Amino acid sequence: MSRQWAFYFDTQKCIGCHACVVSCRVRNDVGTKEAKWRRMEHVGEGSFPDYKETSVSMSCFHCATAPCRQVCPTHAIEKRERDGIVTVDQDKCIGCHYCAYACPFGACQYGDDGLLQKCHLCLGEGAGDGHGKPARQKPEDGGATAACVDNCVTEALKAGPINEILREASEEAANRYSESDVGPALVVEPVTQESHDSIETTDPTG
Amino acid sequence: MTGRTEPSTSEGSAPTGGGRVSRRNFLKTSAAAGAAAAVGGSAISTNPDIVAAQEQTDREIVHGNCWISRASCGQAITVEDGRAIDLTGVDGHPKASGGQGREGTLCSKGVAQLDKTYNPNRIRQPYIRKDGELQSASWEEAIEFAAERLEQFREEHGAEKMLRYQGYPLTDTHDKLFQRIYGAAIQVGRKTTCHGPFSDSWGWMGGYGREWPDWQNSEYIIAWGRNPMECFRGQWEPNGILDARKNNDATLVTIDPRYTKTAQKSDRWLPIEPRTDGALALAMGHVIIEEGLYDEEFVENWTYGFEAYRENVEDKTPEWAEEITDIDAEEIREVAIGFARAAPRAIAFPWTGIAYQGNGFKNAQAIHALNGLVGCIDHEGGTRHYRGPSLSDPHAERGIELPDAHEDADLPDYDDYPYQRHIRNYSHNYVPTMVEKGDIKGYVSNWSLPPKSGNTQEWLRALDEMELVIVVDAFWNAVSKRADVVFPDSSQIEQPFLGSGGDSCYPTRTWVTASNAAIDPLWDTKPAFDIYKELAEEMGYGEYFPWDSEEEYLDEKLDAVDMSFDELAEQSYALVDEYGYQQYREDGFNTETGLFQFDLAPNESYAALADELGVSTAPEWQPVDDDIYGETTDDEYPLLFTDVFVEQISRGHCQALPESVEEYLDRYGRAYDDYEGNYLHINPRDARPRNIQTGDMVRVESRDDAIELPAHVYEGVRPGWIATVNGFGEGSVHPEEAGANTMTLNREHHVEPVSGQVDRNHPVEVTKAGGDGA
Repeated sequence: MSRQWAFYFDTQKCIGCHACVVSCRVRNDVGTKEAKWRRMEHVGEGSFPDYKETSVSMSCFHCATAPCRQVCPTHAIEKRERDGIVTVDQDKCIGCHYCAYACPFGACQYGDDGLLQKCHLCLGEGAGDGHGKPARQKPEDGGATAACVDNCVTEALKAGPINEILREASEEAANRYSESDVGPALVVEPVTQESHDSIETTDPTG
Repeated sequence: MTGRTEPSTSEGSAPTGGGRVSRRNFLKTSAAAGAAAAVGGSAISTNPDIVAAQEQTDREIVHGNCWISRASCGQAITVEDGRAIDLTGVDGHPKASGGQGREGTLCSKGVAQLDKTYNPNRIRQPYIRKDGELQSASWEEAIEFAAERLEQFREEHGAEKMLRYQGYPLTDTHDKLFQRIYGAAIQVGRKTTCHGPFSDSWGWMGGYGREWPDWQNSEYIIAWGRNPMECFRGQWEPNGILDARKNNDATLVTIDPRYTKTAQKSDRWLPIEPRTDGALALAMGHVIIEEGLYDEEFVENWTYGFEAYRENVEDKTPEWAEEITDIDAEEIREVAIGFARAAPRAIAFPWTGIAYQGNGFKNAQAIHALNGLVGCIDHEGGTRHYRGPSLSDPHAERGIELPDAHEDADLPDYDDYPYQRHIRNYSHNYVPTMVEKGDIKGYVSNWSLPPKSGNTQEWLRALDEMELVIVVDAFWNAVSKRADVVFPDSSQIEQPFLGSGGDSCYPTRTWVTASNAAIDPLWDTKPAFDIYKELAEEMGYGEYFPWDSEEEYLDEKLDAVDMSFDELAEQSYALVDEYGYQQYREDGFNTETGLFQFDLAPNESYAALADELGVSTAPEWQPVDDDIYGETTDDEYPLLFTDVFVEQISRGHCQALPESVEEYLDRYGRAYDDYEGNYLHINPRDARPRNIQTGDMVRVESRDDAIELPAHVYEGVRPGWIATVNGFGEGSVHPEEAGANTMTLNREHHVEPVSGQVDRNHPVEVTKAGGDGA
């Protein structure tokens, strides 16, 4: 794979405003109460007054070894060779939901037609539109910049080729990504200077 | 007139598709409603082949200005075949970015703008009330009907009995027509529903309408009862604060009984005992004076009343304040010293958290005094006296003199009325009594919803009682459903816009921003300017509206800055004049003394009121007191209830937007509930003994009334204090009126005594709905 595309997220800049989520809906024409390709998690810890929240913007993270793809019985999910974006061929999807069980991020969502749809890094507009699109060479390719990135008020969320993303990231974030680069294509700035392992997520459909 | 009924046609009032809106749904619902022709004839089709073909067509990017928070953030709107399909912010825009070289963005409300425009629940054509029924009408009929009724109203009652309720018009012709020409003299403005205690205290101390922080240049920011990380008026605000944190190593302190997104970004969160902010501010003043950290040069040369202030804070130690505020004395000392040392690049900035309090005026005065004490007034990195460019008056440009029909109106006097002590005459909460006394008999407004702002039940009755109610709006709600004439306004992206400022990421530049209509008005709606022009013509005032179009009217406004409307709309915004900091050094303060006034004794009307209330004219701590400063909690009503803002639902009509409602609910992890209203946020320490769990329906009962809504139990709110997001429930714009209207608990006497603003704090008890919860 020549250029894995990745998301970058800085919790310290994120103000939890949900503009990324609504932008995703608007750009891709996904109505409310329908599939949610991107969502915000607000994770609270502690008791009043020692209470803290962390806000995290979640979507498909286009994993290097995508577990959704590995379990798909019809090979409807593609890990694109040229840019690492995980797309779905809805013509092949049979709506079995195996991918949803496999994905640790709740990224696999289903439309009224029962077929898989999810973030395709704004390669197209609408479910499955990313399938078969040309590779992204730079952010402008294959459509505009991802809508969520376009409307991130505080530049907490970015997307691009992993080498560019890593150049902009802190050393700690880059190191953490490099240690697990078979996982999600997501470079996350640490919440504090102290390292932390992972942020608990919930299944949005649960 | 009583017993008004709702609109007789189902098209306008019935929610469509369960409130689900997308372009795809819009195509479906439009076709179903037979509205395709109205939105551009054959351009819209649900045939998949035609839709696919349309997707191959060229797209263009045009400009808009988001008006959801009245911030006028510049929008870049993608339009395809007459349909707006996507939008983002304009790069470098004064409101929609962090400044030059920064990408423009829109917040979640702004991005939901298309949800507003293509919302199937919009009012789609004019309505008039005939035989007690609200019936659809043509524009000609509606304009003629309204003109006749207005004329008849003036003959019978006099125009001064028509109330102008301040809303969110996109044009200044609303006031020009109704106030200047028609003569509707009484206006109830937002200072009695939103920010009066803050703005009035600032206006009398600092001499201009309202301060706003110079965020990006600050080194110490105290967000005092405001949550600028999510309730911002433009993306420049959170960006400015984050820039200050990054570039200036600025300290951020949040004072709020709620853990907000601003608290999340803060160095310190002080979860203060509600309504004790004045005590905290006085103690900080005490520390700053004791430590000799105040700005002697500014205090000596540019302030009035320092001695009275010094006297009032002399014994107000942090230990004294700790007892009242529940903030550790040492922490008070540290914040006071940190703030003063960073000054003048420091800001203590209050907002609705303070303004919503019955003792809010004195609390705001004590907070403003801190800014005066450290000399950060109109200073780089301090508070800022932002200016806007002067634009031309198109009427003056054409030599047209507007009448002042309202000026000699014989207005009622309520100076002796017990809840009318305040200096600002005519409080929002008092309108129903004015209607009962026959001093108000009619109502005109533009995008406004008073029954969610206070004294709800009386307001609903008052609207029923009024002889003539005329509204310009886009959604059905308690007012439009009770109106005699409903003019369906176009949404912002369907009409031209011109704005100027004002606060922005360019603290030393005035600016203008404009946009043409991005798409044609949908259905049978019209831009507000066109509505007022047609109404004026029908009333025989055509001479006052000679412009062929709104663009032409706005073009003349821009003469003052030598730009054409089209030129500005094409580029979205322009920076105009430069102006410096510390403008008072040249102009003085626009106060009675020409100085920054710690003590408001020179303000005669305030001095008289303070005398009547038995309070100092200088900053002073005023505890809540049942009769005047707000009700207190007791054994029967032990919890203090108020309402708050979140980013997703912070303004006027957001409750009508399914995307905004869903994101508000998802913020608290409740998007998958079968419920679309507001939640009551309550601490586990209050919920546990009441056997309340998240999702339980609870009853919130005050001395006057009760509301019901589901609970959200979490640690982010102070024990003893509960809150929800306002604007939901009975009378709201939510298509099903989901949730609870918090102001159902509010009554006429719940007003702050100086400004007359609605006091939105109520002692309550909470129980599980339908029983003791056992």
